[in-house]
Amino acid sequence: MAGIQPMEQFLIHHVVEGPKFSAPGIGIIDLSITNSVLFMLIGTVIIGTFFMLSAKRALVPGRAQALAEMLYGMIDEVLTGGIIGDRGRPFLPFIFTLFMLIAILNLIGLAPGGFTVTSQLAVTGTLAVLTFATVLVVGFARNGLGFFKLFWPSGMHWGMALFLMPIEMLSFLIRPFTLALRLFGNMLGGHVVVYIFASFVIGLGAYGLSGFGLNTLGLLGSGLSFVMVVALTGLDFVIAIIQAFVWSALACVYLNEVVNLDHGH
Amino acid sequence: MAEPVAAAASGGGLPQLDVAQWPGQIVWMLVIFAILYVLFAKVFVPRVGGTIDQREDKIAGDIGAARRLRDAAQADAVAAAGEMAQARARAQKLAVDAQGEAKAAAAGRQAEEDVKLNATLQVAEARIAAARADAMAHVKAIGLETAQAIIARLTGVAADAGEVERALTRAQP
Repeated sequence: MAGIQPMEQFLIHHVVEGPKFSAPGIGIIDLSITNSVLFMLIGTVIIGTFFMLSAKRALVPGRAQALAEMLYGMIDEVLTGGIIGDRGRPFLPFIFTLFMLIAILNLIGLAPGGFTVTSQLAVTGTLAVLTFATVLVVGFARNGLGFFKLFWPSGMHWGMALFLMPIEMLSFLIRPFTLALRLFGNMLGGHVVVYIFASFVIGLGAYGLSGFGLNTLGLLGSGLSFVMVVALTGLDFVIAIIQAFVWSALACVYLNEVVNLDHGH
Repeated sequence: MAEPVAAAASGGGLPQLDVAQWPGQIVWMLVIFAILYVLFAKVFVPRVGGTIDQREDKIAGDIGAARRLRDAAQADAVAAAGEMAQARARAQKLAVDAQGEAKAAAAGRQAEEDVKLNATLQVAEARIAAARADAMAHVKAIGLETAQAIIARLTGVAADAGEVERALTRAQP
C-alpha cells in the first residue's frame, strides 16, 4: 500500500509564477498563484457572481434572489440579530463575508479535483486572527480601557475574581487558535478519511479480482468502502456548511461580549 | 494518525505546516477577504437588505391600505343602510299621504257629485211638480169637457161651461 498518500491532496504547488518579495523578519513572500490561491480566487468569483446576479431588487424574488435573501435573513436574524442584538447590524457584512467565504471554500474543496483552501492552517489562521483582531478593535473602540472588564467575572468575591481573571484571559487569548484549528481539523480529517476509504475501494477491489476464494471477500470490502465514501462525502457537505456557521456564530458571540459589555455582563 | 508517505515531499509531517507556503497564502487571503468584505459592505448587503426592507414596507403599506379601504367600505355600507331606512320611511309616508289625499279627493268628488245629483233631483222634482200641476190643470179642463160631453149625451142639451166648471169646483175635495 505504498501508493496511498492521503496528505498529497494538501500539497501546494505553483500554477502561475508570480513575484516574490523579501520582507524583513518574515522571509520570502511568494505571491505566485498556487493551487490554494487559485481556489481562493474561484471561490471569490463564485460568491461575487452569485450575489451580483441574485441581489436584484425584484419585489417578487426569483430562485437565486430568494436564496440570497434567505442567506441574508439567516445571518441577520440568527447570527448578528439573534446573538449580538440591535447593535449587531454594523457587523452584518463582516459576518456575511466570513460565512460565505468559509462555506464556499469548504464546498469547492469537496468537488472532484478541488483543492480545500480551508484545510490550510495558514488560511484558517489568517481568518482566525482577522476575526480576533476585529473583536479586539471593536472592543477597544467601544469600551476604551473598559474592555478589560471583560476578564473580570462579575458578581463574585474579589479574591475569587482575581483568581479567575487569568483563566478568563487565557480562554480569551486562545480563541484564534481554537477557531483556526477547529476548521483546519474538520477539513483535514474529512478529506483524509474519504481518501483512505477511497483507497480501500481500489485496494480491496484489486485484491478481490486477483483470485477466487477468500480473495472474493475483498470485493465485499471494496463495496462497503464505496458506500462509506458516499456517506462520508455527504457528511462532509453538511460539515462544510456547519463549520462555516459555527465560525460565524462564534465570531458573533465574541463580538457580542465586547459590543454589549456595558449591559448584561 | 498514520504518517503520510507524501509528507516526505514537504519536508516531513503535514504539508500544511510547511511555513514557506504561509506568507503567500496569508497575503492572498487577506487581499481576497478585503475585496469580498468591501463588496458585501458596499453592494450586496445594502442591496439585498434594501430589497427586503422595501418589500416589507410595501406589504405593510398594502395591508394598511386594504384595512383603510375595508373600513371605508364598512362606513359606506352603514351609511347606505341608513339612507335605505330613511328612503323606506319616506316612501311609506308618501304612500300614506297619497292614500289620504286620494281619499280626500274621492270624498270631495263624492260631495260634489252629491250636490250635483241633489240639484238635478230638485230640478227633476220641480219639473215633476210642474208637470203634475200642469196635468192637474189639464185634468180640470178634461173633466169639464167630459162632463159637458156626458151632459150633452144624457140630456141632449149642451151644458153651460161656466156652470159645469162651478159644479166641478164644488165637487172637488
